[in-house]
Amino acid sequence: MGYVAVKGGTEAIHNASELAEFYRIKGDTPPIDIQQIRAQMRLAIDKVMGEGGIYAPEYAAIALKQAEGDVYEAAFILRAFRTTLQRNYYSYVINTREMFVKRKISASFREIPGGQILGPTRDYTQRTLDTAKATETSIDIDAFLNSFGAKVDPEKMEGISTFGKVIDLLQQEGLLAPPDETEDRRLVDITREAIKFPAPRSARLQMMARAETGGLMALGYSSQRGFGSVHPTVGELRYGNVPVHVQDAGGRKRYIGKIEVTENEMITGSKAAKEGAPPYFTIGYGLCFGHNETKAICMSTLDTTMRRPENGAPANDQEFVLYHTEGVEAMGFTNHLKLPHYVTFQSSLSNTRAAIERNSQAGKELEQQLIQMQSV
Amino acid sequence: MQEQDFILCECELASLRAFVASIEENFEVTIAKAPSTCMTMIRAQDTVELQEFYLGEALTTECEILVNGQRGYGICLGDEPVRAYCIGFIDALTQLPGADLQAVYTFLNEQLQLIRKAEQLEYNQIMRTRVDFKLMEQE
Repeated sequence: MGYVAVKGGTEAIHNASELAEFYRIKGDTPPIDIQQIRAQMRLAIDKVMGEGGIYAPEYAAIALKQAEGDVYEAAFILRAFRTTLQRNYYSYVINTREMFVKRKISASFREIPGGQILGPTRDYTQRTLDTAKATETSIDIDAFLNSFGAKVDPEKMEGISTFGKVIDLLQQEGLLAPPDETEDRRLVDITREAIKFPAPRSARLQMMARAETGGLMALGYSSQRGFGSVHPTVGELRYGNVPVHVQDAGGRKRYIGKIEVTENEMITGSKAAKEGAPPYFTIGYGLCFGHNETKAICMSTLDTTMRRPENGAPANDQEFVLYHTEGVEAMGFTNHLKLPHYVTFQSSLSNTRAAIERNSQAGKELEQQLIQMQSV
Repeated sequence: MQEQDFILCECELASLRAFVASIEENFEVTIAKAPSTCMTMIRAQDTVELQEFYLGEALTTECEILVNGQRGYGICLGDEPVRAYCIGFIDALTQLPGADLQAVYTFLNEQLQLIRKAEQLEYNQIMRTRVDFKLMEQE
């Protein structure tokens, strides 16, 4: 069934849009400042940027405000905005080994280079509702910031360091599977080239980097529960800033700022490729904009599952994973069902009525035949 | 060059704007290309097999400034027209033959100290969360 074009209704549509705006602000509360959203809705901003496929914290905050907090809608707005600007630069490849690390943990090894750094996390605390947030004041915030700031002794500060990676330990021991020489390693851009299956790994990683977190989580979780049978362990999860460089019009390499990313390397045991050959570990890779650990973990899980199509589970099927985790398309299709389908539905209605009528007519004829047979 | 860009991208905008405003009147400044937003595609690669891929785009501001005829390019992440202009201006100025750059270097050094100090403080706040988990049987 397809939707049909309709005309008219301009005034009602305008009024509906106006009504939506009225519902956004009818509470007559002070307008939310964009900088407040940026600062205090950090993780929502990161999700919008990651799923919108564009790193622009301030614009993500505006989109979130405009969409009344609907992350899907905000990501959609950003994705649309992205198409209005020219792409003038391609960055040099970002190097996550140069990351200013804010969090770095491993579930595989207790002792890792530089130690486990918990960073800003709620992983180890109870999720109880903090009702004090309802009455938080600027004085409370200042008091916390002063107290927090005083916990670091300026005389005893250690110098900034970058850290080696956990996977280096496995690599040094020769425990990682060698790259599959038969895999398609072309670099493609799914924003410029329609994806075809089987897709090169670069396309899969790019699509997952801007996929919807919930979709990735559903499929990643399905695999972790046994549908596709990947039993992964977090090798190393990192969150922090990485520098971005481009080449300017004069050909010089220029620093243009830093972006926040979350990176995860997922370790999975691998069967021996051939009988008698040793088993290896394989690494699934996840990287996304902002602080979004669920996304990075599930992306890296699905990076591994999609390289094992023979398992036959949804999470192992590239097309299933990539098309159904594409949040903007999925949301667009789902919501198009609300658009007028009058003509096609009327056609379906006529066919159904006719079938029921035919069935009813056939029933009457059958009944008549039975009466005639009984009378013979 | 890259450290200069790093400082100019990371320093406080108000300080940068004030510094550039204090010296730009000494030069003939032409805006060859006014600050405008565009996109930068971020290239990334996985850490094991080094498979390159596109992570997504980043909002970027760019401009071209001529200082006494010397061209400079200002590029930075975000919608930052003032910062891009200032970067372009200083980029041109630092390439201008014979220009007295003492004030620029003083400004850059001061700002670098502030940036490093803030970074070090944040780093040390983060390092307070470093943990050495003990296995239960070690208790």
